[in-house]
Amino acid sequence: MRIAFAGNPNSGKTTMYNALTGRNEKIGNWGGVTVGSKEFQLKKEFAGDKEVIAVDLPGAYSMSPFTPEEGITSEYVRTANPDAIVNIVDATNLSRSLFFTTQLLELGIPVVVALNKTDINEKEGTKIDAAKLSAKLNCPVFETVSTENKGLAEMIAKAISLAGTIQKAPYLQADIDLHDKNAVDAEDRKRYSFVNGIVADVETRKTLSAETNKTDKLDSVLLNPIAGIIIFAAVMFAVFQISQAEGPLGIGKIFEGLFTGWIETFQGWVAAQLENSPAIVSAILADGIVGGVGAVVGFLPLVMVMYFLIALLEDCGYMARVSAVMDPIFKRVGLSGKAVIPVIIGTGCGIPAIMACRTIRDERERRTSTMLTTFIPCGAKIPVIALFAGAFFNGAGWVSTLSYFLGIVLIFLGALLIKSITGYKYRKSFFIMELPKWKVPSLKYAVRSMLERAKAYIIKAATIILICNTLVQVMQTFNWHFQVVEEGAENTSILATIASPFAFLLIPLGFGVWQLAAAAITGFIAKENVVGTLATVFALTSFIDTEELAMTGGASTVATTMGLTTVTALAYLFFNLYTPPCFAAIGAMNSEMKSRGWLWGAIGLQLGTGYTIAFLVYQFGTLFTEGHFGTGFIPGLIAVLCMVAALILIGRKVRAHFDEQYQLHKAAKAAKATA
Amino acid sequence: MELAYAFNKNAAGAGTKGGSYDAAEGSMTLLDAEPGQTYIIKEINTDDDEMNSFLFRLGCYQGEPITLISKKKKSCIVVIKDGRYNLDKLLSEAIII
Repeated sequence: MRIAFAGNPNSGKTTMYNALTGRNEKIGNWGGVTVGSKEFQLKKEFAGDKEVIAVDLPGAYSMSPFTPEEGITSEYVRTANPDAIVNIVDATNLSRSLFFTTQLLELGIPVVVALNKTDINEKEGTKIDAAKLSAKLNCPVFETVSTENKGLAEMIAKAISLAGTIQKAPYLQADIDLHDKNAVDAEDRKRYSFVNGIVADVETRKTLSAETNKTDKLDSVLLNPIAGIIIFAAVMFAVFQISQAEGPLGIGKIFEGLFTGWIETFQGWVAAQLENSPAIVSAILADGIVGGVGAVVGFLPLVMVMYFLIALLEDCGYMARVSAVMDPIFKRVGLSGKAVIPVIIGTGCGIPAIMACRTIRDERERRTSTMLTTFIPCGAKIPVIALFAGAFFNGAGWVSTLSYFLGIVLIFLGALLIKSITGYKYRKSFFIMELPKWKVPSLKYAVRSMLERAKAYIIKAATIILICNTLVQVMQTFNWHFQVVEEGAENTSILATIASPFAFLLIPLGFGVWQLAAAAITGFIAKENVVGTLATVFALTSFIDTEELAMTGGASTVATTMGLTTVTALAYLFFNLYTPPCFAAIGAMNSEMKSRGWLWGAIGLQLGTGYTIAFLVYQFGTLFTEGHFGTGFIPGLIAVLCMVAALILIGRKVRAHFDEQYQLHKAAKAAKATA
Repeated sequence: MELAYAFNKNAAGAGTKGGSYDAAEGSMTLLDAEPGQTYIIKEINTDDDEMNSFLFRLGCYQGEPITLISKKKKSCIVVIKDGRYNLDKLLSEAIII
């Protein structure tokens, strides 16, 4: 048996779904958190002996989709024939929600209305007569509070018991021609007046929504074009400082110190156990597997603290405000304020960030956002940043701040570039964002979100990263004849011969050695691999302990071993941060963009950006520190100029096509207007 | 442009003439309105059918009340039904009250 959860955005569907299934799907206090359907079995305590699947759907205001994620919902309830529908109604906005309710009631599928967020109504003195509402709608109505599990058991039991029955609609749409816009409009008006009639009958309000309240003052500051942006920058700066920088606020770093200590003890223990084994076994196990994977896992605390803080931000209602305050700036570069949300989600992981772009209505804006959102360093890149900041810059906080800041700058520049290529001037872009009521963020949810992430991170380390590291270790231990590579002949290893041609291309960026090229390549499988592979190929088993390195002057040891100066280290870091994301994220881009041209454009742009940034940092960095350009300046410059030329050519081609299209469009319009 | 406008005129059912709304008596956009006041929507004119019908589903259509909570140079916050929304300049100017 399948029960679909449908309702307006931000009415609490996923919170209810999580409570009933025990899942931990992403929630947040803004409309459009859930962008795809998810399903899972109901907990035994709710389903009894029956097998009941709950289907969580994205929020929708009506059966006629406006954005792609809304379309998933109407498509599902129309065609998938669920056995019952739980319609989650935001009780604080009954007058809007019932429009969709009346449409759901017309489908013939039994509907149970969950009048959610009734706790807020109680606080505000709004009363809804549930019995009367139930009689008017012709379906059971239950008062619920998803966040506190209130009323859920009775509600879902009723939904299960109704499965298989036929819903009688209280309001039936007249038989009209759905292509006749005026008829549809008139019909929708009639439906709204029906809804308005019900609301007037069942709802009494102590505070009117239209009255200015305390949080309006707060919003007024947060949405101020200057103060609001400064506050947002300060909030994000605090998040990065707390999760990643050293200092009194640096909680992430404190945990990291503890953690790496344990890992090193473990690694020492493993090495001791292997004392009598052949050198190869010990190298593969202690250095390759434990060292490489340990290097990655060591940074877990930073990622966890980051997730915790982002979950708090998402849960309180701030995201919608950020989106609104950033809209005018994003508009200038041809994006929508809605693109801010993917960017913030992207600080955690690029895949949900790319999917979150679905809430953007305009196709060009949506694809552009999908293309650019991964420029913001994701959680998997935190270990890379932390490693380089620790080993080359004495753990300076500015490295991480600069990485994120540069990510944002690249998003803006990239958007401008795409805007100029795709001829944005012809299109209008509206922005409307519901400002949800503020709420105190749930610590329980933030902890759960953090632990969930930790679990995923450890699983990834124990699977993908472990396999990659083992492969890297084996490939660098053996040559093509499967003989152990002798000391001094490391260049003949399988890994070296594969990575060397790539390394050649990286010479103008200042890091043209095969070890670094290999790490960058494994980074496409998972960005944490960069750290793991570096640990493996340079056999720097303890370089993750940045504190120890600082004490023993290890930073310079690492620098010498890796053959990097501070300038080339920064260039290499940026190269890894701004080249295309991992394959999984590229896959997500592919399915969201639904266009090969855009996908290849995205990959090309990201490769070009990473290359160019690294080139500029290395060449100009060397110019400033040593008074001359670095090696391979001319070939690198030629490569960069070729990329620019390619961009100009693509732009010309696209725009020529677009102008043509637009003219056809205009001609057609003019013809129709005169007709 | 012309066609889209004609469509909107039909959709909203209002008889405003020409492209300028200042000409119509007593009409203004949200950005000219007074914060804290509730107005009745006279016309929605976004040149975009889908946008119009989206606004409709939020309860923002001709004849319905809309309250301006606050406004900035390029945006405003309004109450439609029982929800608060942030609208950009383009949309604020498309809602005639």
